[in-house]
Amino acid sequence: MRSLLVLFLLWLTSPTLLAQSTSQTSQSEPSIQSLLDRIQQMERRISELEEHERKETAAQTGNPMLPAPLDQQAQATSSSSQAMHEEHGTSPTGVREAEIHYPSLQIRGFGDVDFQATDQKESTSGFSLGQLDLHFASPLSRKVSYFGEVTFTAQPNTYDLNVERSFVRFDYNDYFKISFGKFHTPIGYWNTAYHHGAWLQTTIARPQMIKFGGTFTPVHIVGVQAEGSIPSGGLGLGYSLALGNGRSSNFSKAGDSGDVNNNRAWLAKLSAQPSRLYGLELGGSYYHDELTPQRGVNFREWIAGGYVAWTKGRPELLAEYENVHHTSLATSQTFNTTGYYAQVAYRLPWQQDKWKPYYRFEYIHRPTQEPVWDITGTPSVEDLVGSLVGVRWDITNFACFKGEYRKFRQAPGTPSVNGAFFQSAFTF
Amino acid sequence: MRAYWKTACAVLVFGWLCLCCTASAVAQGHDVDVALVADPNIPVSNLTLAEVRKVFRGERQYWNTNLAVVLLIRAPVARERDVVLKIIYQMSESQFKQFWIAKIFRAESASAPKVVYSNDMANELVTAIPGAIAFVDARDVRPGTKVIRVDGHLPGEAGYPLR
Repeated sequence: MRSLLVLFLLWLTSPTLLAQSTSQTSQSEPSIQSLLDRIQQMERRISELEEHERKETAAQTGNPMLPAPLDQQAQATSSSSQAMHEEHGTSPTGVREAEIHYPSLQIRGFGDVDFQATDQKESTSGFSLGQLDLHFASPLSRKVSYFGEVTFTAQPNTYDLNVERSFVRFDYNDYFKISFGKFHTPIGYWNTAYHHGAWLQTTIARPQMIKFGGTFTPVHIVGVQAEGSIPSGGLGLGYSLALGNGRSSNFSKAGDSGDVNNNRAWLAKLSAQPSRLYGLELGGSYYHDELTPQRGVNFREWIAGGYVAWTKGRPELLAEYENVHHTSLATSQTFNTTGYYAQVAYRLPWQQDKWKPYYRFEYIHRPTQEPVWDITGTPSVEDLVGSLVGVRWDITNFACFKGEYRKFRQAPGTPSVNGAFFQSAFTF
Repeated sequence: MRAYWKTACAVLVFGWLCLCCTASAVAQGHDVDVALVADPNIPVSNLTLAEVRKVFRGERQYWNTNLAVVLLIRAPVARERDVVLKIIYQMSESQFKQFWIAKIFRAESASAPKVVYSNDMANELVTAIPGAIAFVDARDVRPGTKVIRVDGHLPGEAGYPLR
């Protein structure tokens, strides 16, 4: 009797034990799995009904049955729309919906609201509106697309409206794509990875060396750009070549309305995304321009840079280096300014990956006398050492909060500045 | 009386074994391979996993000069989407959404993958849209659809990576 009782208990508990041992997923998400199973059943039922309806229609019209699956393959080689109606006469809507119509304008917006408080003298704490950024993407045909980006930036009495990017791109194939217009200069990594939407980047602000409105890196270029991948197997090589107006007399601006001199800026960039190290990207770029900050004052500029990025989130690593070399064409004096940053972040595996703490160190070293940076009398590039630590919390897929503590020194011999910064960034 | 107990024991043991087999079959049902199906006109029949990743990350956008890649992906919650996100993209659902927003924002792609709501819809669209490629449950592959080998393997074969 006792042995029967033991066997009966074993019989009762065995399904539970087996169910628990099948997979961790089914244990943690039994309702989702059952929903998936039901969806699969419903899909099969729908296909059975569709098949039944197809047969009935064919019988009523006296037409031969719709092509058998193997015939469908043969017919697919003819024009797709004709094949679509012949093979799938019962559901052309789905196919129509999936087809791209030209032009097909998509608009996406980015915005952020910020708060800052620092112990810097004469600074005020408070809230500010970040850039309101609108991005446009519109395929114009199978191989031609338009991309645009405009920003509204709050000023004391008004909003500045700026065209940040506006270009048309012709795709020949993966190896050659050519664009005409205004771009973010493909120098380094950050400048073309994150653009203006603060929501896209992990931290609240860009590194100083590539900040918008700064002069260390020419952030924009107006002209022509060729890009594509290079057949290289698992190395995943890619290139960018750009030719454009370069910096205007205001170094933080590109020559949207025309070049400041008769010399075009050019850039060559080579990057690699090895397939064996999925998530890794590394590259280097070389930029050349001739600057004319004032009539009759000319400098030659070379910017050499390299970067490495590991963007999988666990961890996220970004590091970038640039050296800006200026030569005075009048005196042949040379000046080198070096800048780099290294950023590390880690997406925590709890609470649906919503938390991402991060740290960044950045450094810019410039000569005491640098005629290009000091052309207006106020240094446009500072000798900077700074670091920040913060955390990003994605409250939804499309909005996040960020909080940062920063400590930085803007010139040798000056005291360090400490600050707390907060941001709510979103896309819509 | 002793024979009665023996019979009862035998019935219970048999029932227990049956339950074990059923549960095992159900568990194996969740490991069905996900097939990579495509427009029969695309000029490839075998891709490495790294190449599949390139295609689905929008890094390879053309099969050849005249045939663009059109990505189809199941809507959220579908098992095929989970497999794609886990093995191909190695991303969570939210990371995947952010990835494509950023991709379009960077002007690296003019549009995101198109969403399909069933394996039947995926099967239909890959034969109707030139250059289309999608993932479907291997049990739902229609005859006539082009099934792409991944790392030289078809669904169901040993070493097939998408399951």
